[in-house]
Amino acid sequence: MDLLLQILVNGILLGGLYALMALGLALVWGVLNIVNLAHGALIMVGGYATWMLFTRAGIDPFAALPITAVALFALGYAIQRGILNLVIRAPMFNTLLITFGLEVVLAYLAQFWFSADFRAINPRYAGNNFALGPVTLPTVQVAAFAIAIGLTVAMWLFLLHTRIGRGIRASAQNLVAARLYGVSPKRIYALTFGLGAALAGVAGGLYGLVSQINPYIGGPLTAKSFVIAIIGGLDNPLGVIVGGLALGVIESLTALYVGPTYRDVASFGILVLVLIVRPAGLLGRTA
Amino acid sequence: MNVPRVAGVGLIVVVPVVVVPLVAALAALPWYGGPVLLQFGIDVLLMATLAQGWNIIGGFTGYPSFGNSVFYGLGAYGVGIAMAQFHLPFWIGLLAGLALGVVFAGVLGLAVLRLKGHYFAICTLGLAFVMTAIVSNLPIAGSNIGLVLPLLKSEVLFYELALGLLVLATLTVFWLAHSRFGLGLIAIRENEDGAAVMGVNTTLYKILAFMLSAAFTSLAGGIYAYYITFIDPVGVFDVVLNVKMIIMAVFGGAGSVFGPVIGALVLSAISEVLATRVTSLASLFFGVVIVVAVVFMPRGLAHMSAHLRDAGWRYFLDNVRAHRL
Amino acid sequence: MSDILEVRELTRRFQGLLAVDRVSFRLAHGEILGLIGPNGAGKTTLVSMVNGTLKPSAGDILFEGRSVRALPAFRRAHLGIGRTFQIMKPFPGLSVLENVAVGALFGAGGGEHDLRRARAQARESLEFVGLGARIEQRADELGGPDRKRLELAKALAMKPRLLLLDEAMAGLNSVEIEEVIDVIRKLRDRGISILVIEHVMKAIRSLCDRLLVLHHGEKIAEGATADVLRDPRVIEAYLGRERR
Repeated sequence: MDLLLQILVNGILLGGLYALMALGLALVWGVLNIVNLAHGALIMVGGYATWMLFTRAGIDPFAALPITAVALFALGYAIQRGILNLVIRAPMFNTLLITFGLEVVLAYLAQFWFSADFRAINPRYAGNNFALGPVTLPTVQVAAFAIAIGLTVAMWLFLLHTRIGRGIRASAQNLVAARLYGVSPKRIYALTFGLGAALAGVAGGLYGLVSQINPYIGGPLTAKSFVIAIIGGLDNPLGVIVGGLALGVIESLTALYVGPTYRDVASFGILVLVLIVRPAGLLGRTA
Repeated sequence: MNVPRVAGVGLIVVVPVVVVPLVAALAALPWYGGPVLLQFGIDVLLMATLAQGWNIIGGFTGYPSFGNSVFYGLGAYGVGIAMAQFHLPFWIGLLAGLALGVVFAGVLGLAVLRLKGHYFAICTLGLAFVMTAIVSNLPIAGSNIGLVLPLLKSEVLFYELALGLLVLATLTVFWLAHSRFGLGLIAIRENEDGAAVMGVNTTLYKILAFMLSAAFTSLAGGIYAYYITFIDPVGVFDVVLNVKMIIMAVFGGAGSVFGPVIGALVLSAISEVLATRVTSLASLFFGVVIVVAVVFMPRGLAHMSAHLRDAGWRYFLDNVRAHRL
Repeated sequence: MSDILEVRELTRRFQGLLAVDRVSFRLAHGEILGLIGPNGAGKTTLVSMVNGTLKPSAGDILFEGRSVRALPAFRRAHLGIGRTFQIMKPFPGLSVLENVAVGALFGAGGGEHDLRRARAQARESLEFVGLGARIEQRADELGGPDRKRLELAKALAMKPRLLLLDEAMAGLNSVEIEEVIDVIRKLRDRGISILVIEHVMKAIRSLCDRLLVLHHGEKIAEGATADVLRDPRVIEAYLGRERR
């Protein structure tokens, strides 16, 4: 029973991080109707950025997260304005291909600069944990969870209550109407994509803290982000939290009851099943 | 109007004058090309077959599968399990792999082909990941250690097999381009609801196209397995393989007969040249090619060569202008 | 059974909104029945249920006396039900000829299996609607009235016995309307039964033997054309609006 509880808690902590990972994808998908197959690669880049700041510049990983966010925002903005804008009115398939190409390029560059070795971000306090009843909670994981959930809620508030946030949501509904409100589509699109990239970057930094990164984690993480985005729907960041937690718990339970090598079978299997059974998403609209 | 044409010239002329000598010359390559060219040839022929296989479901039917690597892997494991675990001859392994691929496509197709556009793409991508994960857990498939196959020191055999398979695949695509079935597939691609209303059994046709695509893909995988003598899940269910076959088909011209073959040849050749300089530059190259090609020539070489003469450089700019924000 | 089509209590709900409400009517062999009503009355929804594009929430559809409610759209095409769409569904990347050839290849009875014969039939249909000069053009290069003609030719190539026309004359000028009226008359002479959704009064008066009027999804009038057009309920539904 205690083991089950521990596993559930682990799953929830992991799930919070997953939710943050999926948030950027869901945002870009819901607003720009861009299915970004390079999303996982952006997470990977964020992970390496934080790792570099920690190992080369000695900055505490949590302090490095905002820097990573800004860097990834700039990268995302540039990608959207420089490349994705050029194909945004083409059939969706073109966007899929182009983002897949970007994923390949980013993975190659990462492998070129950092080699294919696994890297982890291990500050001095990495091994700390505290007990809450029968459950052991690693400090870093709890902090990551808190940050992830916090950012997700902040994004929700941002989209609902700020002028820019409403502008972004307006663009999602109706680009022509948004133009009438004085919203510049090019800037809004680039801003949104940059935001999605920044979120991915922070998720990557956190991922490096709780797990290991290498140039090829992009693909599977993109796929996991899809599962979560599809389960949670694209309208509401809070739905993404539900999706993330669900996936985290399912993965942990699968690892416990079926076997640790079956985690991926569970997550990707769920992706396939959810798409087949309810492609319209479980909780919300899927574009 | 009724005589099938290739690039504006009647088939009666093209086949004996161009195609047959070309295929004969290719078949004779092991005797005048060196071992490097032979290896390169096998790789290109297999990739071109994958591109043609994708062309059937992605190019003609308009369902962009990002998971054909599943069938490639099934074909490879069909041969691998048959030969390494059961010590059966190669051709039985090939048939096993073929059966696995086609049956999978039929069963999965029923569920997955109901999805449209990018949902189909994502779902098939997910399938590619699932297969890797599942096979990594199967002891009979060697789990994630993989399987070692008996060695056959005859690259010539593999070359001729791969050539034969590509010819078969291309003939099939040619038939598609000139048959009632193929026109039904194209109608599905152009407007699926419209096709159904006009009497096309869209569900059946899509599944058949998927199974046909899977057939060639799994046969290619089977040949590859015996050729390379070692297979493991990550290697044969490789997701990047999907990108390669798609970009080769798209670059050459999805929906055309020879486009995927030419795309495979051109891209493989350039990638090979680059690889001799810096080994892993190949994947960077593919990534860049995808981005550039999708922006400037999204309809592929086939379309470009047809329109370049009239439009000149404006062709590329027009593509951008039509699709940018 | 002298009715080619019988619709019984046909109903369609969209998440609580009743788009078509227990509509029943018959269409006799060789008849031209007009389906009229204000915008949003449910006409297209009704027709979509007859040809199989939409599933009914309740009710039945009988074609030549047999229920086709459970049949998918492509099977109904094989039985001989053809349809044009208000929002047209051409195959944009294909030539005009190929567009129509699809109809010949997959239409009534499972269609033609010989490509050459299918192309010949397609050419015939195109000449019949007046698109003979454009058979090699790409479908997406056609202008508005030509697109309408293409839509009609596609349906004709299927050799339908029942033809459902959804606003075949919208956006056409007087001359073009006359041409289409002429084509439809010739089709009836060939033995095809026709259901026409139309707003153009001239067409309704000159073509339709009987009219069926829908308003808010309900049938409010059915009968001989002249009688229905004088019916005060019908006039009220349209608020006196009339188009020449």
